[in-house]
Amino acid sequence: MRQVVGPLLLAVVLLAGCGGTPEDPTAGGGESDNPQATTGATPSGDPVRIGISLPLSGDFSEPGSGIRRGYETWADAVNAEGGLDGRKVELIFRDDASDPNRVVSDYESLITRDKVDLVFGPFSSRLVIPAAKVAEQYDMLFVEPAGAAPEVFEQGFTYLFYAAPAIASDHYDYLAEWITKLPADQRPKTAAYASLDDPFAQGTAYGLKENLEKAGIKTVINEVYPPENTDFAAIAARIADKKADIFVGGTQFEDSVGLVRAFQELGYQPKLAAFSTGPTLPEFDEAVKGGSNDILSPTGWAAESGFSGNQEFVDRYKKLFKAEPNEDAANGYTVGQIVAAAVEAVGCAEQGEACQGKLADHIRANEFDTIVGPLKFDKDGRPLAAHMIQQWQDGKIEIVLPDSEVQTKELRFPKATW
Amino acid sequence: MTLPSASLLAQGLALGVLTGGLYALLSSGLTLYFGVMRIVMVAHPAFLFLAAYGTYFLHVTTGMDPLLTMFITAPVFFLLGIGIQRLLVARLAPESLATMSVLLTFALALLIEGGLGVVATGSYRSVTVDYASSSLRMFGVSFPVDRLIGFGIAAVTLAALFLLLRATRFGRALRATIQHRTAARLVGIDTERVTGIGFGLGLATAAIGGAVLALITTFFPAAHWGWIGKLMAIIVVGGLGSIQGAAIAALLLGVVEGVVLVTAGATPAALLFYLFLFATLLLRPQGLFGGRLAERF
Amino acid sequence: MPNDSDRAVLLRRLLFVAGAAVLLAFPWLMPNSYFRYAGVLVLMYAALSTSWSLVGGFTGYVSLGHAAFFGIGAYATALGVIELRLPHVVALLGAALLTAVFAALVGIAAVRVRGASFVIVSIALVAMMNLIAQSARGLTGGSSGLRVPALLESLDRTSNHLVFFYLFLALLGVVLLTWWVIDRSRFGAGLKAIREDEDKAEALGVPTAAYKVFVFGLSAFFTALAGGLYGIWFGNLDPIFVFSIIVGANLVLMALLGGARHLLGPTLGAFIVVPAGEYFLIAFGETQAHIVASGLLLAIVVLFMPDGIIPAVRGLVRRFRPAATSIREQSQEELREVRR
Repeated sequence: MRQVVGPLLLAVVLLAGCGGTPEDPTAGGGESDNPQATTGATPSGDPVRIGISLPLSGDFSEPGSGIRRGYETWADAVNAEGGLDGRKVELIFRDDASDPNRVVSDYESLITRDKVDLVFGPFSSRLVIPAAKVAEQYDMLFVEPAGAAPEVFEQGFTYLFYAAPAIASDHYDYLAEWITKLPADQRPKTAAYASLDDPFAQGTAYGLKENLEKAGIKTVINEVYPPENTDFAAIAARIADKKADIFVGGTQFEDSVGLVRAFQELGYQPKLAAFSTGPTLPEFDEAVKGGSNDILSPTGWAAESGFSGNQEFVDRYKKLFKAEPNEDAANGYTVGQIVAAAVEAVGCAEQGEACQGKLADHIRANEFDTIVGPLKFDKDGRPLAAHMIQQWQDGKIEIVLPDSEVQTKELRFPKATW
Repeated sequence: MTLPSASLLAQGLALGVLTGGLYALLSSGLTLYFGVMRIVMVAHPAFLFLAAYGTYFLHVTTGMDPLLTMFITAPVFFLLGIGIQRLLVARLAPESLATMSVLLTFALALLIEGGLGVVATGSYRSVTVDYASSSLRMFGVSFPVDRLIGFGIAAVTLAALFLLLRATRFGRALRATIQHRTAARLVGIDTERVTGIGFGLGLATAAIGGAVLALITTFFPAAHWGWIGKLMAIIVVGGLGSIQGAAIAALLLGVVEGVVLVTAGATPAALLFYLFLFATLLLRPQGLFGGRLAERF
Repeated sequence: MPNDSDRAVLLRRLLFVAGAAVLLAFPWLMPNSYFRYAGVLVLMYAALSTSWSLVGGFTGYVSLGHAAFFGIGAYATALGVIELRLPHVVALLGAALLTAVFAALVGIAAVRVRGASFVIVSIALVAMMNLIAQSARGLTGGSSGLRVPALLESLDRTSNHLVFFYLFLALLGVVLLTWWVIDRSRFGAGLKAIREDEDKAEALGVPTAAYKVFVFGLSAFFTALAGGLYGIWFGNLDPIFVFSIIVGANLVLMALLGGARHLLGPTLGAFIVVPAGEYFLIAFGETQAHIVASGLLLAIVVLFMPDGIIPAVRGLVRRFRPAATSIREQSQEELREVRR
């Protein structure tokens, strides 16, 4: 009996696996809130088809789906206004399961099998480099929402642009400037750094570290922990032992929460605490049970900002998804804005060096009005603006730096206990 | 690089002991499976996180105290363990049991991870209760309350397990089955039944460990991979099949890990488990406390 | 029945030639570059899985840690090219030899234990190498990844896939040949004796320890060659995805699914599992159901057909055929069906 059942079961599995052509992932997926679902292959011609690989499962699935919604909001807006250069926009999503092998496989198939007209970038610095390489080799413009690590721009890519105000190492520039301008008697003397072993997280923390060290603020501890680390008590103990005035965390969400909780337990109270991401998400305050007060983070986008099209983005996002947009979604939307502007100006959206090269040249040469402010790029695709600094104040996120029209509250210092 | 201060060392030591207690509880489960069936249960950490999610959802939906959830999850896991042993593991051919069981339990781990991902998405979860987010300070060292609770639960569970094995009729039958299955059967022990219950007990420890884990850390579906290597190293160092050995190795490695963590950092601390593993295999393959069992398996 | 077996041999040869011809022509038959890319992946996994079965199939020792050798091969090749400025071929061979020596050293510790402990060691090896590669930032680039110089910078992507398709095909050929030679040698008989009963084999004078260490090293050698080729082809290495237990488990799944004790079993497994994996991700990629699908496939193979498809199909055919007709011929036909 066993001998028969086995092969039969297997046959069923294989049939399920091989029968028919794979359906389009966006059409068959679980999310019903997808306004731009494409069905099957359309002959290249009328609509502008845009291929995107995102981590919709795996370790990065949360920010991945944020960016997806940003892209969808953009496509919805463009189509409502008559399309891109008169053509309707269709987005084709592929899941990369947070795996570089998959991300390459996805762009390879999107470009050569589905023959999409344009591609948008994936999430995470770790996945952007292999993905950008594929785009580069097929001469495809590659504007991306999440590859902020300094290494991304040192690979000699000519089609890559990062659609946010600044690369990771410059995220804290306003904060560094603010700290170094403090009067000598108030200025912190020592700083502790702990960072996730990830190019983006390390990039942000070390950017600040470099600036603070230049200003004479001593680094008393510099800790790197592997991504699978979930126990922060011992790391926190090492840092608490040094009693540094400033704590800087190169973090994602879960480790920022883990560190804050461990510091609370150990009674370590720095005068200033900053985390890369984590506090940028609305859930942060709830996760640290009210320990969020006065925590700082760099952010590229603010919901209240008056930049070009921001209000429209926020409204449309809320209408489509019945939820508040976040920075990931804003970055996705920004990618769309830049590419759309380039396509309208150059007047083409199709594969081939002739068109894609012109699009890239146009982006390199011009400034773009986006929801994160006016953006310009250097020759390697680095954006040349700056991130704002946000602070949690009594359960709300406020923009505290720079000291301009975007500021909603003054920076509070020294920080309250957590 | 300055020398670590005495208080930091003491802090590392304290955290190490507390974490070691949790390791001891979890490795006791692995030792039970290995003892009764000679199998390596790769899915144990996956079940640990399944239990943590169980605790999380019970806590969130019913508002039940996370520690009380183990009175629901542990019996469920106990029955689940008996079921897995009867329906799945017992079907494997005896001559290739050692290796096939690893693959089967690996498949279980994937099923749990994928299933949790489908149901609960890949985002991070944590359970926070007010009484567990403070800490006691003694001799200049902080003892986080959540970890103290975890250590206490681990100690009580292990003591109960030990009593069960030493002082009851069933415990004697279980130990006899572990030592020599055929001989146990000859003296009239229903080894099949004992094996199933042993497996169930092992899984119940994962349920208890999961409740503790939910209390002290954040977790996500793929988090179990980080635990497999650590726990495996512990049971090899302790000597496969020896519950006391595993408990002592767990405390030892927990303490060394704690001290290395506060002095040298996270990566050396993680590597340490594997160094101990290889050193044990080279110098004393039967483990610190194992008998002749380990050499053959 | 000499006639029948003659015919069977002839048929087998014809089939072999036809299969080889299809494989050689594959990249030219495909409509686009993606299929070439997928073809390279399938061949790479076939080579890896067959290398694995040198240990897993012959001796019965299941290693979940072959990703460690894959990764060491990949990183050592890349570093040979980058740091030592070696030609690619030299770096590749050097890296593979280095990995083989490393594996033999690990083997000396690992062969002292059997079954369960051996699996534990192999899992630990991957986890350890991952940690080392991540922390040795200065050398490996850590989490930022390591960029591997291409074989020919001027080659476009599609042609690069073509080149590596044939390189991996050649590697697969060499590994299959090695497997075939060992299968017919005294050495192979010794390895199989270890699988059936190690104590008896040792009592009969088989130098079990030396055999195991040697075959472990040999398996690691080919695994590292595949890893090195992968690095050059892919162009970018990242520790957590190279040193992955899942990759190691996939090799085992492919080998078991096809039949680890058969020459073409692991290859067959790779030809099924890799395309199925691509399909699962496209079909269920929105959720994590594709992990469930992989787990289910592994569980089904382990529970119902631990010897793989080839023997299962043979058994099935034998069951439904009258004993008088030629079993071999039929099973070959069946095999051909499966291979399609």
